[in-house]
Amino acid sequence: MMLSPAAAMSNRVARIVAVQTAALLMDLARLWLWAGAAVSVPFLLWGVGRVEPNARDSWAFRPLLIPGVLLIWPLVLWRWFLLETGRDDWAKRHLPPRRAHAFAALLLAVLIPLTIIAGLAIRQGPPAGAPVLLEAPE
Amino acid sequence: MSVSYIPVQWNGFKHRYNLALALAVGLYLWIFVELGPALLGHANPITPQIHNARAFGSCAFLMMSVILMIGPLARLDVRFLPLLYNRRHFGVMTALVALSHFLFVFNWYFVFTPFPSWEALLFSNTAYDRALGFPFEAFGIFALLALLILAATSHDFWLSFLTPRIWKSLHYLIYPAYAAVVAHVTLGAAQGVRGLAFPVLVWSLALVVAGLHLAAWRKERRAAAAAGEWVPVCRPEEIEEGRARVVRLSGGERAAVFRHEGRFSAISNACAHQNGPLGEGRIVDGCVTCPWHGFQYRVEDGCSPAPFTEKVPTYRLRLRSGTIELDARANPPGTPVQPLEAPR
Amino acid sequence: MRARDEFFIGFFPIPPGLRPFLAAIAVALILLFAAAGWFAASTQAAPEEAGFRFDFGRQEVTGVLSLHPYPVIRVTEGSERLAAGRTVMLSGGGKFAPPQAAALDGRLVKAGGVILRRGDLDMLQIGGGDANLAAAEGEAPALSPPERLGRWRLEGEICDGKCAAGAMRPGRDLSHKACANLCITGGVPAVFVSAAPVEGAEFLLMAGPEGGPLPPEALAFTAAYVSVEGEIERVGDLLVFRIDPATLRAL
Repeated sequence: MMLSPAAAMSNRVARIVAVQTAALLMDLARLWLWAGAAVSVPFLLWGVGRVEPNARDSWAFRPLLIPGVLLIWPLVLWRWFLLETGRDDWAKRHLPPRRAHAFAALLLAVLIPLTIIAGLAIRQGPPAGAPVLLEAPE
Repeated sequence: MSVSYIPVQWNGFKHRYNLALALAVGLYLWIFVELGPALLGHANPITPQIHNARAFGSCAFLMMSVILMIGPLARLDVRFLPLLYNRRHFGVMTALVALSHFLFVFNWYFVFTPFPSWEALLFSNTAYDRALGFPFEAFGIFALLALLILAATSHDFWLSFLTPRIWKSLHYLIYPAYAAVVAHVTLGAAQGVRGLAFPVLVWSLALVVAGLHLAAWRKERRAAAAAGEWVPVCRPEEIEEGRARVVRLSGGERAAVFRHEGRFSAISNACAHQNGPLGEGRIVDGCVTCPWHGFQYRVEDGCSPAPFTEKVPTYRLRLRSGTIELDARANPPGTPVQPLEAPR
Repeated sequence: MRARDEFFIGFFPIPPGLRPFLAAIAVALILLFAAAGWFAASTQAAPEEAGFRFDFGRQEVTGVLSLHPYPVIRVTEGSERLAAGRTVMLSGGGKFAPPQAAALDGRLVKAGGVILRRGDLDMLQIGGGDANLAAAEGEAPALSPPERLGRWRLEGEICDGKCAAGAMRPGRDLSHKACANLCITGGVPAVFVSAAPVEGAEFLLMAGPEGGPLPPEALAFTAAYVSVEGEIERVGDLLVFRIDPATLRAL
């Protein structure tokens, strides 16, 4: 059975879509990092001192924050906004997300054995099948 | 804890911790990379870049596993608490080892090609519809990004700025990241004609990590939350001098009721630094001292002694028919409360 | 005081009762890492006997270049290691076909490069520029037509011929899959590594059903053991396996 021309075409299209999706994702990643860089300048120069009294006169540690700002800048902007506008709720600082521990424990306890079983199930040994001549040449 | 932030706070313990860690990691990599080829004695040696990628990748997995064992071990046996103290340096080191693994792979498998390398990382294998041949790199990329986010936000500034609650939620990424690394290895290096010895090593470590988390979770699960405005705690004599009794409140909070010089005071159980369990700490020099990183608070008002500025909420206490009761409505952080006198 | 009652505060000296415990942990950690490093290193399987043969020196051959399904040269004037009559796969200096080849399909060419060899699989890696691949004087001679060997079902692994021939060791298995796909997409000859020899050959050049390069859907099946059906023909001394992608099945 030969692949129909339409199916072959759709496979080629899928390949092109994959290549373009990869390019798009990488462009988005670059954009994300550039946006992070744009946020990090005002944040490190002014924001850090405004939101964190302990950091007001400390400069040496600020470059250490750059990778963090690059990676999670939307969260940085959001927290900065909450602190600047006085909307931060003090009580929440003392409410650790404890239930997540149970979730994490169960997540690992379920996912890890499942992964191992799946890994063993798909493991291949060297094939034993000898070549089979299906149709002799005319 | 710091009066003002500095890049890295050092002390003698951290130096010794890091020294032991650097020795362990250095030894692993040296044995794998330098002794490995001689040990194996292959007539056609593994390509050095591939050998290095395997060394750093397997090392990062071991480091991640050990890090994840520390938390539950400390909950099961308090003697492990000191290992938790400098865990972030361990984590940053792990992120760097994992990044090295990525760079060895990336600069070998995804270069020398007419296609752009970063894009090639994503499109070279798109068999997402099957387990065998699944682009296991995707799991590795996710885990590496998680490790980098964790490492990049490990400075104390981030804890205070994001609040421990958000910071911890973010750092829970380590669990999906670990599961992803197990999948990364299982669908990649564990497949093929190579023997089962290496996968079994990886899987055993992962099962130990999962088992320890289950054990610690079971231990935590006991004790139910108490409801109502005034919550019974216990009889005064049940609390040892300098120690606390932890009460779970209906809102999910926990309060720690301490006995200090025969009188009783209550503060939030969650340390302002990383929400460590203050109630499992001790009173040292008149201050409640967190068992995780040693942050301290005066027991009467929940304030760190000068020059430090951390504060935790306080709670009011009263005595009713020989039982200490706690007002479940927390006072704002740093509110002084007269300690409760209890008859002998 | 029992060790359990010792209270550790990071910035104070370690309580005496905890010291032996922590020292033991540190020693255990170092030993664990050393032992794990030794064990993990010892589990690394030996790669195939394959690789660059710089020891053979540069090989220069003349022959007829064909780009279908992938660049091969049918040698008419051989070198010390590549005799006349052979059909040798070609690759460029990276994960791509020799760029000069594009304009030389069907022409008589002079090609020079270094051999990658694994068993009876030879791949000639050709550097850039005319010095390494250019049209030769004269018309391309008539070559023997392909000999049809029938329709077969084979079991084995789809690899890129360059890494499989030892450009990377190992150049196979799922950890190498993305690289293999990148090589094949870049125009490096795709090779079927058969579990058992077919008509005396363990390595077959792969082609799509129409004789062109592998269709994209075959990339999902690379680097793992598969069974696949297709027409085999002998071109010179090389077997070409024109697969029917619809019959690809993971084992």
